[in-house]
Amino acid sequence: MRHLTEEELIEHYFSEDANRIVVETHLRICGRCEQDYDEISNALAVHGPEPPAREPGYGRRIWQSIQQPLLPYPSKPQHRFFFVPRLAFAGACLLLLIATFLAGRIWERTHTRPSQAVTPQAEKERVVLFILDDHLDRSERLLVQLNHAVSGEEAAGLLLQAEARQLLADNRLYRQTLAGAGDPLLSAALDHLERVLLEVANSPGPLSDAEIARLEKEMSTDSLLFQIRVLRARVSSQQPKSEFSRKGA
Amino acid sequence: MGNDDHALIRAVLAGDKDAYGLLVERHSESVFRVAFRITESEADSDEVVQETFLRGYRSLADFHARSSFRTWIYRIAMNSALKTLDKRKAEASIPVVEEYDDGRPGIQLTDPAAGPDRLLLDREIEARRHAAMEKMSPTERLAFVLRHLEGRSTEEIAAALDMSQSSAKQAVFRAVQKLRRSLAPLWVKS
Ligand SMILES: [Zn+2]
Repeated sequence: MRHLTEEELIEHYFSEDANRIVVETHLRICGRCEQDYDEISNALAVHGPEPPAREPGYGRRIWQSIQQPLLPYPSKPQHRFFFVPRLAFAGACLLLLIATFLAGRIWERTHTRPSQAVTPQAEKERVVLFILDDHLDRSERLLVQLNHAVSGEEAAGLLLQAEARQLLADNRLYRQTLAGAGDPLLSAALDHLERVLLEVANSPGPLSDAEIARLEKEMSTDSLLFQIRVLRARVSSQQPKSEFSRKGA
Repeated sequence: MGNDDHALIRAVLAGDKDAYGLLVERHSESVFRVAFRITESEADSDEVVQETFLRGYRSLADFHARSSFRTWIYRIAMNSALKTLDKRKAEASIPVVEEYDDGRPGIQLTDPAAGPDRLLLDREIEARRHAAMEKMSPTERLAFVLRHLEGRSTEEIAAALDMSQSSAKQAVFRAVQKLRRSLAPLWVKS
């Protein structure tokens, strides 16, 4: 008699077995398999803590806590079902950036935000800061990965390049838009970042140790990383603390 | 239900931000459950839910019409929950999990209903369950949570984890195996 495998017994537990009757019959006549099955059932009966119930309106509360910084997607008629190119989204962000920066320099003004009332202008600033922070965050992570990259990890190298290409497209838009905003540190950092991204994105294959070392040296990626961290600290200090970012503190 | 989700997603992508609010309302509780199954912390799970829907919104353009929104948002939630778990582990610098192998003698059960023995046994079971969860790979853990604790189909798990159905089944199988091995010594005397 062929006994049931552990896999068959687990499939049976989840009612996924192709031939349920055969398994059931076998379990009835075979003590050994029955014991195995009991052991599996016992183990699966052990549960951790159950998720506590959420209060009514939980979903609405979550939505309220996150919706503010979200930018509506551009409301162009979509011919291709569901497909919005990333650049279209970046383009919408760019329009907001332009609107905001034409109205004034956010860096100086946000320090003296006078009232709690949320004006459309303040909304826009929040979105700009949110997007910029995200861009800087992703750039920071890329630079950290680059500084710690180990040769031979081809998959990681390819991912790094793909990310660099994405960031490069966004960075161009942000750099061009912010060129006239009168923020030298930001402009310089975005400019420096673009040169590094170009090198990473256009490298013919996964980056070798030597290439990474050269990038670090010639393009001083550590100092760029430092600049970006300074900028991020500044951006996040200007971002109003939402319930989201404050929770759990 | 699934098609309603698709209509809402189309609305969001056409500029109606509030349509996303309806998706959040519809799915936040099940996302919370999955997050809790992984983090086993209420506060962390609430944060995971917020982070998940925030990320979901911003990558909604990458959503493909052929998949279900729930499955897609699960995937984001699980990654976020695993990240939170890693963060908590690093913060607490939890010592390496004790090995519970088959050679270790199990607890001798005289009367399972008795007070102190029962407590001791419960603590032992919990420690062994926890150790088994820690031994599972992230994929095994996710597959296990979805299949066993949330009762999702293999098909849905495969979609959420972006793998074939047979790989999803294998992941569940290995997870159950680990749980069984970890708890096996406790059943000897029962
Ligand atoms: Zn048998």
